[in-house]
This record gives sequence, C-alpha cells and structure tokens, in this order.
Amino acid sequence: MKVKVDQARCQGHTLCAMNAPEIFELDDVDGHASAVSEDVPAGHESHVINAVRSCPEQAIFVEDRS
Amino acid sequence: MSVEDAIGDEERKKNRYHFDRHAPDYRDRAEEITRELHAQCPVAWTDTHGGHWVASGNREVFEIARSAEYISNDHDVKGERRGYQGISIPAPQRGRGNRGGFLEMDPPEQRHYRQALNPYLSPAAINRWIPWIDEVVRACLDEKIEEGRIDFVEDLANVVPAVFTLAMMGIPIKDWRTYSEPAHAVMYTPLTSPDIMRVGQLHMAMQQELIRRLAEIRENPRPGLVNGLINAEINGENPPDEELRGVLGLLIGGGFDTTTALTAHAIEWLSENPAERDRLSRERDTLLDSATEEFLRFYAPVVGNGRTISADCELAGTQFKEGDRLWVSWAMANRDPAAFDNPDQIDLAREGNRHNSFGLGIHRCIGSNVARTVFKRMLLQVFDRMPDYVCDPEGTVHYETISVINGMRFLPATFTPGPRLGPGLAETLETLQQVCDEQRLAEPVTVQKARAKVAD
Repeated sequence: MKVKVDQARCQGHTLCAMNAPEIFELDDVDGHASAVSEDVPAGHESHVINAVRSCPEQAIFVEDRS
Repeated sequence: MSVEDAIGDEERKKNRYHFDRHAPDYRDRAEEITRELHAQCPVAWTDTHGGHWVASGNREVFEIARSAEYISNDHDVKGERRGYQGISIPAPQRGRGNRGGFLEMDPPEQRHYRQALNPYLSPAAINRWIPWIDEVVRACLDEKIEEGRIDFVEDLANVVPAVFTLAMMGIPIKDWRTYSEPAHAVMYTPLTSPDIMRVGQLHMAMQQELIRRLAEIRENPRPGLVNGLINAEINGENPPDEELRGVLGLLIGGGFDTTTALTAHAIEWLSENPAERDRLSRERDTLLDSATEEFLRFYAPVVGNGRTISADCELAGTQFKEGDRLWVSWAMANRDPAAFDNPDQIDLAREGNRHNSFGLGIHRCIGSNVARTVFKRMLLQVFDRMPDYVCDPEGTVHYETISVINGMRFLPATFTPGPRLGPGLAETLETLQQVCDEQRLAEPVTVQKARAKVAD
C-alpha cells in the first residue's frame, strides 16, 4: 500500500497522526501532515484506512497494489 | 432587479426553510430542525436576518466551505472593498466597525497572520505546555476537592482555557477574570436580552485592556502571541493596531468559551452515562483520542459561521449570486446520517469521525491543538480525583440560545471529597507566571523547544 498527503488540501487537523502515528508526521511549525514514507509497512494498512476516513479535508490518498 | 432576475431569484431560492439561528427554538429543537433540513434541503434559503442560505448537509458543507475561490470571510468595516459583513449573521451591533481578526479576512492577508501564529499553536508548540496546564488543572481541583462540590464551568472549564490563552499571549495570567467574564457573557447573552448593552460595554472595557497590553508589549517586548503579531509581516508590513485589536479579540473569543463549552458538555454527558465514564477512564490510552473527537462532533462548540459568496457560482447543486450571505452549519453537518452512522448517538470509539467542528478549509480553527489538549488534561484529572462525580441537573444552566457557541453557564456537581495535593489557584498562578517567564514558554516552538518544567 502506498500513501500520500495532498499538501494543497491538508489544513493541519492532525487526525491522521492520531489514527496512525507511525505513518504520519506533523510539521513542528504548522502541524500539517505528511507521510513518513510513501510505502506503508505491512500491518499498518487498517490504521491508514482509518486516517483516510477521518481526514476532514479528504487530503489523504492511498494506492493498494497488493 | 429586472423581472427576469426576480423570477430567476425565486427559482434559485425554491428550497426554503424558516431557520432562525438566534431563536431559543433552535436550541430546544436542534436535532429535529437538523433532520428536517437534511431531509428537505441540505442547502436552504431562509428569509431571517436579512435573508441568507443555510448549508447543513455534510457533503454540501464540505464542498462549499472549501471553495475559497467563491466564498469570502471578509468583514469590510470601512466600506473599502465590497462591503461584505464577515462571519456573523446578522453583523453584531457590538461588533460594528470592528473586524474579527483574520477570521474575517481572506488570503493573502489571512494566510500571513496564520503563518505568524502557527509556531505558537502547532501540536509541537502546545505539547511543551502540558506539565504547566496540568498544574493549573490541579490547582482548580484543589480549590474544591475537600468540599465535595464543584461547578465544573465556574471552577474549572472557565478557568483553565482562560489562564492558558493569556499565558500564550504573553498577558499576566493573574488577570484572567478581567477577560473571562466578558468573553463568556457575550456568548451566553442572547441578542434580544435587555442585558446586551451592559455586556457589550463590559466587552468594550476588555478590548480597552487588550489595547493597553498591546501598547505595553510593543514598548517592552515579552514573548507570546501578542509579540508575534506586532512583528508579523502582513503583505510585507507590520500590521496596524486597529487590525491587531480584532486579532486579539479573536484569540480571546476563540480561546476561552469554546473549550469551556466542549468540556462542560462532555462532563455532563459522562455524569449521565457513568458506565461510559468508567470505561473511558479505564481505557483512556486507547479511547481518549476518539472520545475527544466524538464530543467535538456531537457538541460542536462553534455551531456555524457566516460567509459571503464572492462570485456567481454553482456549488453543491445550488446557484449562488455574488453578495449572497451564507450560514455554514458545522453542527448540522456533524449530524448528517449520510456521513455518520447513528449520528445522534455518542460512540466514544467512533472511527472515521470526519467532523467539522474546527471548520474546514483555510480557516480551520488555529487553536484546535489548544482545545484538544486542554480538554483532555482537564478530563483526566477529573477522572483521577473525582471519579464518582454526579452533576446536578437542577442547577445546570445551558445557554438560552446557541447563536454562536453551544455552551453552559453552570454545571454543579458533587463527589466524594479527597485531599488537596498542593497550593490553591492564586498561589499556583503566581508560581506558574514565574515558570512561564523564566523558561520563556510563550516563545514560538521555532525558538523554544523544551517542555515546561514545573516543580512537584
């Protein structure tokens, strides 16, 4: 699974990092999110899906190649 | 308007619903009104308050609120642009001539203000303060712990957000009452109340005090949001005092009564649902985040905001005309069954909780990390020190209307008394002021990264 945060849409609600703290990091200065790595480590898929479903701006996109 | 336009207007506004957001009826029948709007017209026209649109559907609110190219927050108090009236419907009497800070601005100005303040308010910035916030909460509870009685609004939820907001601003925290009462009263006093003029004057006096503090910090800089604003670059220049007045008012308005309202509602609900309270306390490590978001969704403190349509457009299936006024209801969008299963029930473990309580788009509440942190720190200590508290419905007073904030005036409760753990509030605030000054906690996270150290 691959994950990406659209920086133009993210407004720093921080729900992704709440749902999947290992996958998303928040900028110290404005709290906007980005994926630590584009590739989601095995076992974290369901957390990423929860993050996608929780994002108020619908700014997170995943691609599942499995 | 030509006859053709008038007919076109009639057609555009064919989905009509009588909605008065200032009426007690909206407070009393909020869920019913929300269901009717969702079922009949998720974007409706109402003739109240000069006529305006009401967006209540989750999908519609999502599309409209994020369309920055077609909606404006501008409050053009001097009539220099297009005369837009900002985020209040109708524009408030007391606010006439005052712009509500960057919440009543559009980009790029609005963005410049936020860029100046973000490093004080980001998750990393707020996390530094947690031991300091815990100490304020501890002192509030110590004031009441031996008595076995507390008013959760007056004695806790009014105090902590106020003290912390002032600390971040760089204003002496011992003065919290000077700001807290007016900030609370302008929210709980209905526009039609005979008391509204007095409350307006109280609020004006608070504004005067803010102006004095602004001048003082300009003269003798001390770290905090006020200093950050004085030195902000807005379109390449430092902002004038008249704009800063509005921004300071916005920080007080946003920082004080909102978290108070959220906390009071959550504490009340948890008293009515003691098994859920015990579960949340027990499973706090896994449940506190989702429960916080669920209380935010269910009891959205800021129920909605006004906007002005800035260009003719079609959004969410509705034809809007430039200049139309629009009410975007965060609270109603949070109860849309199309977006949330069992929307009128609280589920502390709710997943996919894409609520709108901090707004959407470029105006996302800049204090959202403050609100969440302060809320959680208050709740945890209440669980630890007053685990069997019972609220008294007889003494509980909700706001008469939910014009802006869905809040509470009083929430008295009783609990099994316990021992004090430290000094009372006044002494604690003196100590915490020193801690704040010596450790320069109110600096932005770009300057000061260390977590607050508070002696046990």
